[in-house]
Amino acid sequence: MPSGRTWHDRHLGYVFVLPATLMLVAVLVFPAFITLKLSVTPEGGSGWGLTLLHYQKAFRDPVLLQTFKNTFAFVAWSMAGHFVLGLALALALNQALPGQTFFRLIALIPWTIPDVVAGIIFRWVLNPIHGALNPLIRMVIPSFPAEFQWLSSPTLAFPSVIFANVWRGYPLVMVMLLAGLMAIPRELYEAAAVDGAGKLRRFFHVTLPGLSTIILIALALDMVWEFRRFALVLAMTGGGPGTLTEVLSTLVYKTYFQFFTFEYASAMAIMMSAVLFVLSLPYIILVGRER
Amino acid sequence: MTRDNRRSIVGALILGLAVVFLAGPAAAQVKIRFQTWHWGEKPVVNALEAYQQEFNKANPGIEVVRDESRYADKETVYTATSQAKAAADIAHFLHRAIPLFAERGYLMDLTPFIEREGGQKFLAQWDQHALETCKYKGKIYCINDYVNPLALLYNTQHFKEAGLDPNKPPTNPAELLDMAKKLTRSGRYGIGLIGSRQEGLFMRFNPFFWGAGAEYLTPDNKRSALDTPEALEGFRTYVELFTKHKVVPPGVIEQGAQEVRTQVAHEKVSMEIGVIQAPLIYKAINPNMKVDEVMAAAAIPSGKKRVSSVEYGMRVISAFTKNPEEAWKVYKGWISRDVQLRNFKIYGVMSARLDVKSAPEIANHKFAKVFAAQGPYGKIEPLIPEWPKIGDAMITAVQEGFSGVKTSEQALKDVHIATNRALGVQ
Repeated sequence: MPSGRTWHDRHLGYVFVLPATLMLVAVLVFPAFITLKLSVTPEGGSGWGLTLLHYQKAFRDPVLLQTFKNTFAFVAWSMAGHFVLGLALALALNQALPGQTFFRLIALIPWTIPDVVAGIIFRWVLNPIHGALNPLIRMVIPSFPAEFQWLSSPTLAFPSVIFANVWRGYPLVMVMLLAGLMAIPRELYEAAAVDGAGKLRRFFHVTLPGLSTIILIALALDMVWEFRRFALVLAMTGGGPGTLTEVLSTLVYKTYFQFFTFEYASAMAIMMSAVLFVLSLPYIILVGRER
Repeated sequence: MTRDNRRSIVGALILGLAVVFLAGPAAAQVKIRFQTWHWGEKPVVNALEAYQQEFNKANPGIEVVRDESRYADKETVYTATSQAKAAADIAHFLHRAIPLFAERGYLMDLTPFIEREGGQKFLAQWDQHALETCKYKGKIYCINDYVNPLALLYNTQHFKEAGLDPNKPPTNPAELLDMAKKLTRSGRYGIGLIGSRQEGLFMRFNPFFWGAGAEYLTPDNKRSALDTPEALEGFRTYVELFTKHKVVPPGVIEQGAQEVRTQVAHEKVSMEIGVIQAPLIYKAINPNMKVDEVMAAAAIPSGKKRVSSVEYGMRVISAFTKNPEEAWKVYKGWISRDVQLRNFKIYGVMSARLDVKSAPEIANHKFAKVFAAQGPYGKIEPLIPEWPKIGDAMITAVQEGFSGVKTSEQALKDVHIATNRALGVQ
């Protein structure tokens, strides 16, 4: 039986998505293709001569390997911090307390601050001479060194950057978990309470299972975001002391824009994208299943 | 509407568009985008605006328009825009960028314009040492507009308080250390150093490194020369001021040039290796500081060899400019004697033009005359495309030395290996 829809009706949708598709091709597909092409182009070369030397070099580059390790540690600790802080605040902000909306807004503030600004703020807060942190600590512990060095210390620079990143990034996880918490039916808690479950049991047997999908999505998204973190690290330490806080995005930036080895930087970027793709597979699968 | 009417309307529209397209460019002014990171920075912007207004008034067919960049990512912006063939017509850089951009074909060869102005006779008006930084593989890509040699800036009041003679600044690293120790007292440090990842680090580190007799590379620029006792001596002189002698404020790795100037301006630090504009910047940071009375300048106490770092500033014309003639006209005006002298008066920068360098305004200026005297001792890092990688490895080494991640010996050994790797030495 004829549907009554003309060819024009059936294909009109493509016309509507065409501008967005063209835009995506221009800002995503085309640069990705250029990067891929550069990554297999001989150094300083042009045209279509292909080489895999940059990838070969990357696998032997001790700086790149160390930076991969730094990046994985940075992502893992940041995700852990975001999850713990985000969940704790989401639980707190899910309580029916006076001023709930106000506190929810306050908790979102770090998310509104651009990366580079957050980096500069923390750089100043942690400055040994003019920074606010040392005097604050000394108010509680008077014997604490007045000019304690956070970002210049080989042991504390990396944790300091992670701390700043946890502060800046927890609201994304918090908001997602808060939305998940609000979606858990009250009846489940009431039934658990009737069955004699205490607060801790209700958390482990009602709240966490109810949030499991959201937690997975939030962490998967967070992992992708943190893997690409750039401006905060650059503004806070520039990768230093030495290369102790160097992450992949800052190394790719340096290799491309400061060392002018476009081809090698492109190979690094492609490798980084491949790792990111693998890391984001759980999210892609999860979203696919939801549909 | 009849078919004829429709045809008439469409025809009129096409004709109108054709008129707009054809007449438009003829009537419009040629815009020359003049890029620098100084457009938002007083007092430099005053000099830029003075030139912009003066040029635009005198040249009705050309309009100089401002194009912003930022100091930290000027190369990034220029690279990205050059790859899109849309870079600013004229852009501002320091000497390290020239071989990199020239190698990639982003810069216009100025030889034809220079030949037209008189060739060598025209170029003879500039500091020849400076001009070398504009040349790459037989072509000339710029004419320097300023030279920035470094000198020691010190607070004479602090010298008096520490029992030192303010007319006898240190003349070698040992004296510098001795005086820095005497100047270091509660809440105040003898000398401010740069340890953050920026070009300014080299400017302060190099005089001690070269002063000890060290070099980065062998004379043919083919291999690292960092495995010498002189290199270690120079490296340790700089690093140990902080690690061993504690005469540098804490957090040196976080200190850039502006942070050190801020410390000098607020009298937290008594000495620094600084640029000619530093006294003006101290005044801007702390208007209460009587900079002209309190501060003095002297040669850098570099060591066995008298040497100063020097930074050369220049504009380049983009290889992709659509208006090379107009761009050259703007360029030539900017490097003219009158404009360069006015720039010195407005923001204290020293021109690479010989007739400006020798002008009485500079010869009689308390700070400028000292900085000008450093010119003959000025030295720059090797101008090779591999330099950014080598330089970055050296910054890493200095930071590792400062933070104690590695000993000076190990840090220098690693940068020696990294340098050879960057140069392709097996």
